[in-house]
Formats: sequence, C-alpha cells, structure tokens
Amino acid sequence: MPALLDRRLVVVTGKGGTGKSTISAAVALAAARRGKRVLVCEVVAKERVADFFGRPPSGTQIHELVPNLYSVHVRPRESMREYALMTLRYETLYRIAFENAAARYFLAAAPSLAEIVMLGKVFWHASREMERGRLRWDMVVLDAPATGHGLTFLSVPEVFLRLVSEGPLARDMRLMQSVLADPAKCSICVVTLPEEMPANEAIDLDRALRQRQFPAGPLFLNGAFSSRFSAQEVASVTRSGPMLTAAGEAADNHESRAALSGHYEAVLRKAVPRELVKVPFLFERSFGAQAIDKVSRAIEGAL
Amino acid sequence: VRPLEGRKIICCVGSGGVGKTTTAAALALRSAMEGKRALVLTIDPARRLANSLGLRELGNAETRIDPAHFAEAKLSPRGEMWAMMLDLKRAWDELVRRDARSPEQAEAILGNKIYQSLSTAMAGSLEYIAMEKVYELYASGRFDVIVLDTPPTSSALDFLHAPDRVLDVLDNNAMRLVLGPMLKAGRLGLRMLVRPSGLVLRTLARFTGSDFLRDLAEFMVAFEGMYEGFKDRASEVKALLSSERTAFVLVTSPNPLITQEALFFHRALEEAGIRTAAVVVNRVQRDPRRHGGPDNLPALKEALQLAQIKDTDHLAERLCETLTDQAILADLDRREVERLRRTLNGVPLFTVPRLRRDVHDLAGLWQIDEYLGGE
Repeated sequence: MPALLDRRLVVVTGKGGTGKSTISAAVALAAARRGKRVLVCEVVAKERVADFFGRPPSGTQIHELVPNLYSVHVRPRESMREYALMTLRYETLYRIAFENAAARYFLAAAPSLAEIVMLGKVFWHASREMERGRLRWDMVVLDAPATGHGLTFLSVPEVFLRLVSEGPLARDMRLMQSVLADPAKCSICVVTLPEEMPANEAIDLDRALRQRQFPAGPLFLNGAFSSRFSAQEVASVTRSGPMLTAAGEAADNHESRAALSGHYEAVLRKAVPRELVKVPFLFERSFGAQAIDKVSRAIEGAL
Repeated sequence: VRPLEGRKIICCVGSGGVGKTTTAAALALRSAMEGKRALVLTIDPARRLANSLGLRELGNAETRIDPAHFAEAKLSPRGEMWAMMLDLKRAWDELVRRDARSPEQAEAILGNKIYQSLSTAMAGSLEYIAMEKVYELYASGRFDVIVLDTPPTSSALDFLHAPDRVLDVLDNNAMRLVLGPMLKAGRLGLRMLVRPSGLVLRTLARFTGSDFLRDLAEFMVAFEGMYEGFKDRASEVKALLSSERTAFVLVTSPNPLITQEALFFHRALEEAGIRTAAVVVNRVQRDPRRHGGPDNLPALKEALQLAQIKDTDHLAERLCETLTDQAILADLDRREVERLRRTLNGVPLFTVPRLRRDVHDLAGLWQIDEYLGGE
C-alpha cells in the first residue's frame, strides 16, 4: 500500500475544533517539501489555511501559499452554479431552473445537494488532467467539514445514490464512490484530541468509516500532552510553602492534563485499529507558518 | 445563575465539544437543588455523563435521577432532577404517527425516501424536532424547568430557521405548482405513468432523475392534511422560544475559533430579536502566577534550595518552562474572554476553569455550579 504522501486524495476528517485545518496544512506542507504539487481544498464555512501561512484568503481561486502548496475555498453556492452550468451549458437555463422558489425547495429537500456539488468540485480538482506531461496535482488534501462527523460528507454519494439512480449527478457520484473506496488512490484520516468527547467521536467515526470500507489513514492525536514531572516531584513542590505555590500548581496542572491525555491515548490505541500519530501540544502565542512547520516535521516521519 | 431565574426553558447552544452537555446538566442540577422539577434533555451521546446520571440508553422517555445517586454525592436536592436522551429520528417518527389521520397515512410517510432523508439529514430537521419535543414537554406542565442541550452540529442558522425550513419543505406552493401533474397522479396512485413535464422540472430531473421527483410528489401527497397542524405548532414553538420564558445560554471554550462561532450565534439570535441570557466559557486556563512567587530560573533554583528539594534532572528548568507555558495559555484565554466580554457587552459571562478531571458524576456537576454563580 502506498504511503500517505503518495495518495492522490487525502481526506482529513474529525469533529470541529480538533485541528483538522492544522493537520491538513501540515500534511500538505510535508508533501510539498518532498517536491509534490499539493492543493488543499477547504470545504468549511471559513477558510483558514492561507492565513496559517500569512497569506490573504484564496477564495474560490486557487492560490500558491508556499512553493508547491496551493489552496482553494470550495463554497456551496459557487460550486452549485459551476456544476449546473457545466451540465446545462446555458446560463439562462440555469437561471430558469435554479433561481426560482421551487428550486429552492428542491435544493432543501434533495439530500445534501450542497455537499454533493462541493465534493464534486474537489474531485474535479483531484482528477484534473495532465499539464505539460504532469498531473496538475500530485495530491489533493480535503479538509472535510466538521458537521457531525465528516462522515456525512463522505457518505453523500451513497445517500444520494439511494435516492437518485439516474442522471449526470448519479454518474459522477458513482465515480466518486469508486475513488473513495480505492486504497491506492485515497486515504481517509481522522483527527482527534486527547479529551473525552473528541475521543469518543473519533472511535465512532473510525468504526463507521471502516464499516463503509473507506481506506483507513492514520489517526492524528492532536495536542498530546506528555508528562514532565514524577508524582513525587509534584508532591514535594506543592507541599513546600508559598514560595513554590505557583510552580506547584503549574506542575500539578500539567501532570493532570498529561494524565488525561495519556488516558485517552490509551483508550484510542485500544479502540481504533489505525496507526496513531501523536502531534505534541504547542505552547504558542500565535499560530502561524512556524507552528504548521513544527507540526509537519513532527508528523512527517509517520507519513 | 441569576439571569436564568424564572425561565422555563433554557437552551444551551454552541459548538460541539465545548462542554454543552455538562453545562446543561449542571444548570438542571442547580434548579433541582433549589426545589424545582428540572429536566435535562440531551442529544449528545456523552455516555459517561449519562451513565453517571443513571441513564443507560438512548430512548425518548424521561427518567428521574435516582435519589441514591444524590446521596452518593452528598447532595440533598429539594426538588427532582430528570434526564432524557433524545433519539431524534425516533422523535420524528413518533410525531408523524401521532399527527397522521390514519395508520395508513403514517406508514406512507414513514416509508417515503424523502421523509427518511428529511428526518435524518436535512439541515435544521434535528433542531426542529428537538424544539418540538421541548414544546411538548413544556405544554405537559410536568416540569418547572427544561434544559435543552442542542445537537452538536447545530449552526446558529440551522437552529433559528429550523421551523421555517421544515415548514417550507412540508408545503411549498411553488413546488406544488411545478409538480402539478405528478401530484395529481400521485393522488390517484398512477406514479409510473407520469413523466416530469415543464422546463423547470425537466431540467431538475436531469440532475436527480425523475424517480426523485416522483418520491417528492408522493411525499407531498402523503403529507396532505397534516400540514396545518404542523404549521400551527411550529408557530407556537417559535413564539415560545422568543418569549421571556425561554433563555438562550451560549456555551463556548476560550478557543478563538469557537468564540467566533459563539459570537456568530449571538448575532443570529439578536437578529431574531432574542437576547442571549448568559455566556458560559468552559475550560479557561488559570494563571499560576496569580499566587505570586518566583517564576524565573535563578529564583526557582533558590526557592527549591530553601525548600530543601533537590534540583535533580533539571527540575528548576522544567518548573520554569511549565510556568511559562501555562502563563502563555492563561494569557491567550484571558485575552479571548475579554474580547467576548467586550463584544457581548452587558451579557452576564461566567468562566469555568479547566478542571483537573473530566466531570462524570453529580458531585463533579455540583462543583461546576460554584462557577456558574451558585453559592
């Protein structure tokens, strides 16, 4: 099986606030450093990756952030329009069919049409043809939306095909399904934190992803805390009077957090049969290119 | 929490993973301690919390927390605490069964593919059914206070526009017009014979195929006659949520991404004419420097010496590094809390420090109460 950095499509899933964008950017940066041309597709409400590198938002146009690393923001409305125009060919027909009250209704009732067209857009990027004898992108990283589990997003083709079996969308959905099921081309990673809810959700997400036979990428344990003090040290410092109260509390806080982190790491190792990649917690005043670089170097050995 | 006094319904809203379930349970516990019959309605599978409250299963029945659990935590509530874990799909099905005019109508709806995706996947549908359930429980008059822990995926807009969105899908005149002949055929049970006609429908069918449109027509037909009841209740749900009887509590963590969402939620509430009753910021890092004492390396070395603690394996360096790290985290959190306070100018704000352990029992919940303005 190819290493993560050799896949065409890397999907980064996980619940909101676990650091999906950070991991997406770090994976992309690690690939870019190896000379691959990488495109990060952000399918979330607000794009973040460009900002990590101190660049203005890319919007719906692809922009290079650092050498070989590009990003684009995939938005539902624009994607729908582009997709519809691609299929219908005529702007007027698009307007008649989609810019009316009935179509608004239709868009609300059709299962996750917004997600479908966004996923379609990402696939369109991922399968872009050769340019001067070379694939347009060696790797596309999809920073999946946090809604519930990123699973909703990945299951879109399946859910859609259950309802709709004909037409151009159904055909495209089948194609997407086949790529999403191919371990040679695609890998689905999970990002989590060493905390109760994120860990539980990662366990559920992993199980659901495996049930649907999505190619299993690593589990990134973001913000892992490691122990710095022995129990004895904490006890002696906390007990030694007002001069060391602050230091004792800091050490005790750190160890209680490290203990929780270790607990959830063990829980995850036991419950999730994926390679676990630890991403150390970073104590940074601001989160920018330097932090992403640190994260990408911390994980690249495992990719 | 004073700002919540006299409220009948408390909706805890915010992003997933910020401690919404815990906050909701703590607020219900407070009411129970004060002598009320309080119900916490949770949607999140926060299993360990649920287990510690004596709830084992996801089901739509309200369960009283066993007084023995309170005794274990050395708490003696003057009221009662109840909890319910909502299974949203089931709640939808129950609603349809209850409102259908006949069992046949209920079955026709429950078996329809559009209904199935609507009740599980459509944006706003989970929020809607949660609120509908709150309304039902409120109207039953069995509880003094109902605390709702909202679905973890809720965005502000899904939550506030849920009733309108759901109503719009259930009955949309424009779609009725477009589907016209298909609806007629559906009523006569002639679905296979009619193909989508008209430019709009034919164009839409190119995306989804005509089966989908037939399902849609069937769904609309199956739902006929139930719409009025739905609409009436949806407007009552809306009225209840925007009245003084309901309080919205924003729950957040000091993570800038999460506070951004909380502020977005706050503005969306404001636009809907609803005031945020309180903000709870969970997991705020405390600054160890508040105790004073040495925080630089030479001073720490000296303090260790005075305390007769051996500085082995660079203990002083490790302490110094840890103090600095936590000071950074505390500064970041403080900055974020201040920003929230300024922006939410006037809304009561409570901070709950990062706790040493996860909260898994009533005693832990009661410990949080202290930070929520309890005595």
